[in-house]
Amino acid sequence: MKYGSWITGAGAALGIMLASVQPAFPKPLPPASVPYAVKPVRGAYQPMPRKDVLIRGATILDGAGGRLVGDILVRNGHIAALGQNLDNANGVAEIDARGRWVTPGLIDIHTHYGTYLLPQTAAEADVSDVIEEGDLNVADTWIEHAVRPQDPTFSRALAGGVTALQVLPGSSALFGGRSVVLKPVPAVTVEQMRFPHAPQGLKMACGTNPANGSARRGRGANSRQGQIAFIRRTLYEAQHYMAQWEGDMRGRKGHAPRRDQRIDTIVAAMRGDLPVHLHCYRADDIATWISVLGEFKMSVDVVHHATEAYKIAPLLAKKNVCAAVWPDWWGFKREAEDSIPENAAFVDAAGGCAIMHSDIPVLGSLLHIEAAKAAAAGRRAGLDIPPERAIRWITSNPARAMGLGGEIGTIAPGMNADLVIWSADPFSIYAHADQVFIDGAVAYDRMAPDKRRVPDFELGRPQREDMP
Amino acid sequence: MKYILAVFALFMAAPAMAETVAITGARIWTNSSEAPLENATIVIANGRVVSVGDAPAPAGARIIPANGGVVTPALSAAATRIGLVEMLSAKDTDDRAVASGPLGAAFDVSRAVDANSLTVQEARAQGVARAMLLPGEAAHSILSGQGALVRLVSGPDIVSKPRATLFAVAGRGGAEVAGGSRGAVWTLLRNAMDEARTYRTRKRATGPRDQLLNHMDAEAVLPVLDRRIPLAVSAQREADIRQAIALAQDYNVRVVIIGGAEAWRAAPELAVAGIPVVLDPLDELPVNFDMIGARRDNAALLARAGVPIAFSVSGQGIYLSYNVGPALREGAGIAVANGLPYAQALRAITLGHLRVWGENTGGGRLAAGEVADLVLWDGDPLEPASAPQAVFIEGREVSRTTRQILLRDRYAPQKVLP
Repeated sequence: MKYGSWITGAGAALGIMLASVQPAFPKPLPPASVPYAVKPVRGAYQPMPRKDVLIRGATILDGAGGRLVGDILVRNGHIAALGQNLDNANGVAEIDARGRWVTPGLIDIHTHYGTYLLPQTAAEADVSDVIEEGDLNVADTWIEHAVRPQDPTFSRALAGGVTALQVLPGSSALFGGRSVVLKPVPAVTVEQMRFPHAPQGLKMACGTNPANGSARRGRGANSRQGQIAFIRRTLYEAQHYMAQWEGDMRGRKGHAPRRDQRIDTIVAAMRGDLPVHLHCYRADDIATWISVLGEFKMSVDVVHHATEAYKIAPLLAKKNVCAAVWPDWWGFKREAEDSIPENAAFVDAAGGCAIMHSDIPVLGSLLHIEAAKAAAAGRRAGLDIPPERAIRWITSNPARAMGLGGEIGTIAPGMNADLVIWSADPFSIYAHADQVFIDGAVAYDRMAPDKRRVPDFELGRPQREDMP
Repeated sequence: MKYILAVFALFMAAPAMAETVAITGARIWTNSSEAPLENATIVIANGRVVSVGDAPAPAGARIIPANGGVVTPALSAAATRIGLVEMLSAKDTDDRAVASGPLGAAFDVSRAVDANSLTVQEARAQGVARAMLLPGEAAHSILSGQGALVRLVSGPDIVSKPRATLFAVAGRGGAEVAGGSRGAVWTLLRNAMDEARTYRTRKRATGPRDQLLNHMDAEAVLPVLDRRIPLAVSAQREADIRQAIALAQDYNVRVVIIGGAEAWRAAPELAVAGIPVVLDPLDELPVNFDMIGARRDNAALLARAGVPIAFSVSGQGIYLSYNVGPALREGAGIAVANGLPYAQALRAITLGHLRVWGENTGGGRLAAGEVADLVLWDGDPLEPASAPQAVFIEGREVSRTTRQILLRDRYAPQKVLP
């Protein structure tokens, strides 16, 4: 892959991209002159070299709950058709996928790639880019300013079938800053990885981690009740700030406040322009936060880790709150003491939105196995969770939660051609991602190791060379 | 091989049990052959396997139809920390390591084992019968303490062999303790061997004994010098692994490598030295500068070279105490997906106590007369989606009702569990 081809000519593919972009903003954007107006960024990502292709005879999990044995036609980086015995009128290259499986590209809604930089050294242990630790409210920080594209973890996630991922700030602040959505393609700058026009998100965190953050700083809220008080205080301030700006817009000059970029981010989230990603484990905490944020008409879009989501599954379903969870982490901290493997399945069974996340690098290439474990636990508890249902947890559900449901996460005409051809049922431990397509381009090919771009860090390292 | 032969000696008295159990119609992996027995029956009584194969269930036996399930020897966790910690983040529930105080090599984790820990309950329910509990890294000594072998029978008495290994931490963790250099680890470790040797001849002498090891630590090193227990060395980097090989040769001690991310690079030398490696098959990332050569076919390359292997799956530390059973199976499955033959992967998660640690009184093979540690799985045990349907440890079926199962039942959607 010649990266020269995608650091130049930024406009070349723009038409294609615009054709598929359906930003999911619930409200019209405020006038661009208010500081909290959100302007999704195009970035400098360019699809890798690609050709139209017809994938034949695969067992297809479409990501929306459907399953069929059939064909997928990819044209100009998008899904052109899905069905059986598709006509190959233009004579494009065909891939025989009989006996193999195809899913949408997997989506990891919770990573720290490029900021929890591998390899970790003592230097990173002292000063980390995972989150700015200066304050309980660091909503003005944007994680994209820290991401190093050379983190080898991106390449492993891609080989595990991941085609889009979110980098979130860590959890030691109540308002942790803005997230970024990336494609795990070889790149030198973060802009070359940016998912074009993807909304940022606001990371928030409840409970122990931000309390410990305060304790380390020696100031700020170090109790749950203190956290709620801090949040209310901040959100009242945000309401006031918004009223002042909008009063100013209506011609009441002199009311415009001094710009505060922390509040800009929070107001954008209050307006629904930035999805809210809340780190929170306990059912009681989650319910409290949903309620308190609700006082300000602010919704929680995704609650992350959520080891007790199963205890409040109907509430989460009613409030349209997704739960992004591990299948089997439990016990390691007080907040995770009641975690059970059926967590995702119970959320799903209540009509809610279940999502698998990785959070740590080693799980980033195993999202399909994480989903397999969670689905199997649900089946043993008596729930009917076939593969076409479980695949939603790592495709369409996270896509929708990140405001990208119109572009990725399902295999349907018009969607981006982010696809994985699996050697077998993707929920089997023996399955390999044979080919991973991003926007119709083969970004990873298991059979062509020579074509893979090794991350700069791993280049020329004797440890990675075969023994003579 | 001597370990395998010793299993047949059957010198350990099994608990008396009247019940005879037969699992019928199963695919049975015995660890004695590269292929499973199909549609076979295994009969157990008095803590032992009575028969495996075509022999029918005896009259009066409790019959468990396998229903397409698979029987394997129970899991053996070759390096884990169950029973030593309840909550990783709560220091006062964590007995894995000594962070201060006088103990180093003399720290004995068998005296910290809590058989009532949920980590034990869950591991047992998930089919783990045997485990080596290793201490965590000590704050002030490269010799972190002595590991204990356990067998997860019900009840308080799970330690089967205390002080079964001495654990040393090399590489970046050890360097921090040794003063800042990986090299200092090996100097101190060699000095510990030398001092223990000197200590033995002088221990009855009066007067000051001028050495770094106190008498408790020196006593703890002696069984290593006598080859009665192996020295477990946590090492990932090729250079450290080669240092461990050299130490084994120079002091004529048994060594086990824990971690071994780059062990594939020294596979022939490890095979010649007969040094087992307890590795994590999920490793493929340069997590730190000791693991730049990590790759998923490490297990396959080592096994092909003849290095005894067993698995310990970390999951960034979580799986060392939680989900030990499913993580072992997931690791074995990944190893198979990356070239390790299936039967060898199964051995790597069921024979660690024997092949790595030399405990020859426990299970690990399904043949007449063997200790009946076995699991009936509802599918391929190397698929993490599979689960145990029945777990027998020393011939007794253990409970699979964990606290998590009770939480599940309490909060299940109404339509599922009325």
